[in-house]
Formats: sequence, structure tokens, C-alpha cells
Amino acid sequence: MGLDILFKIAGVGILISVFHTALKQAGKEDMAHLCTLAGFAMVLLWVVQLLGRLFTTVQDVFKLF
Amino acid sequence: MWLKILGSLMVVTAGACIGFSLAAHYTERPRQIRQIISCLTALKSHINYTAIPLPEALSLCTGGITGPVTEMFHNMATLLSNNGRLTPQEAMSQALRQTKKLVLNKPEREILAVFSANLGGMNREEQHKSLDMVHEQLSRIQYDAEKLCEQNVRMYRYLGVCGGLAVVIVLF
Repeated sequence: MGLDILFKIAGVGILISVFHTALKQAGKEDMAHLCTLAGFAMVLLWVVQLLGRLFTTVQDVFKLF
Repeated sequence: MWLKILGSLMVVTAGACIGFSLAAHYTERPRQIRQIISCLTALKSHINYTAIPLPEALSLCTGGITGPVTEMFHNMATLLSNNGRLTPQEAMSQALRQTKKLVLNKPEREILAVFSANLGGMNREEQHKSLDMVHEQLSRIQYDAEKLCEQNVRMYRYLGVCGGLAVVIVLF
């Protein structure tokens, strides 16, 4: 695993915060929340994959089933 | 690697272009409504004081204004002078359809239809009243459009550029 995924997640976080601010200033709070939720779901997909890899590594190390 | 960077630049540029063109739609609408209002004011004086035929008055009332609104009034004038059987309402609806760069929404199109339906069918005083009413309605719509413009222009610009960047980050 490289550091690039961390930078990706940080970049998405910054952009989502900009999206949220822009939409909120335009008076579209519902869209802003939807946008945040979409960003969160996207990042969660990446993190879940990484967690899956972590669990398989733990299983391999401790010889668990 | 260079190909990736070039592609990313293109994606960001495309996103920014989309955002800016959407924002331009919102800045253009109040401007066009303002132009229509000034054309109608000029038309009112042409009807009241010079009493010239409608096609001529329509092409004269766009003095000093350029862009799609002028094109629309000229189209209407040409349609009316070329085809004697056309009513002003039909000419207006055809001119609205012919002029592609107009960014008017449904309410102002409806008001223009009402305005053209009353055009030339009544005496001078009644037309004056009808034009006053149209003027008032358009001013209200212009105020709303300006408020909408203030709200949305910056949002669409930010969203365009940031959307491009987000796509780049996801695909990179």
C-alpha cells in the first residue's frame, strides 16, 4: 500500500468541503448534505477495501481461519 | 505519466468550461430581460407618439441594443412585414423559436405571448396600459432573476472546477 491512497482521501475530503460550502452559500443545504454523503460513501469504499486487506493479513499472520 | 497529466488537465478544463457556461446562463438571463424591458419602453413611445406601423416600430425600438434580443425583435418585424396574414402573437412565438441564443424561461415567454396578443388589437390607450402591465411583470421577473444569478453564479463556477478536480483525483 502506498501513500497515494491517503493523499487521494485527503484530496476528496478537501474538495467535498469546498462543494459543501459552495452549495450551502447558494442556499441548497439538502444538496450540500447529499454531496457530503456521496463523498463519504466513496471514501468508505476505498477504506473498506483497505480494511479487508488488513483483516486477511491478520488472518495470515496469526494463521486464523 | 505525461499522458495522465495531460488528460487530467483536459478533464479539469472541461469541468471548468461546463461550470462557467452554466454560470453564464444565469448572468445572461437578467441582462436579456433588462434589454427586453428597454425595447418595450421604446416601443411604447413609438406606439404613443410616432404611430408608425408595427414592423417598423419593432425594428426601431431595438436602437442601441445588441445581441439575441435585437435579433428576436428583428425576426418578428421581418415575419410581420413579409407575411401580412400573421398575427403579432404568431409572429412573436415564431421569432422566439427562431432565435436560438435567447435564455428566457417559461414565465417571461408567457408574458411576451400575452404582450404580443394584445399588440395592435386595441386602441392606443389600452395598448399603453397593457405595455405598462408587461413592464411591471418583467421588472419583477428581472429582480428575481438577479437574485437567482447572485446565488448561483459562484456556486456553478466552484462546482465546475472542483468537480473536474474530483474526477481527476478519483481516476488518477
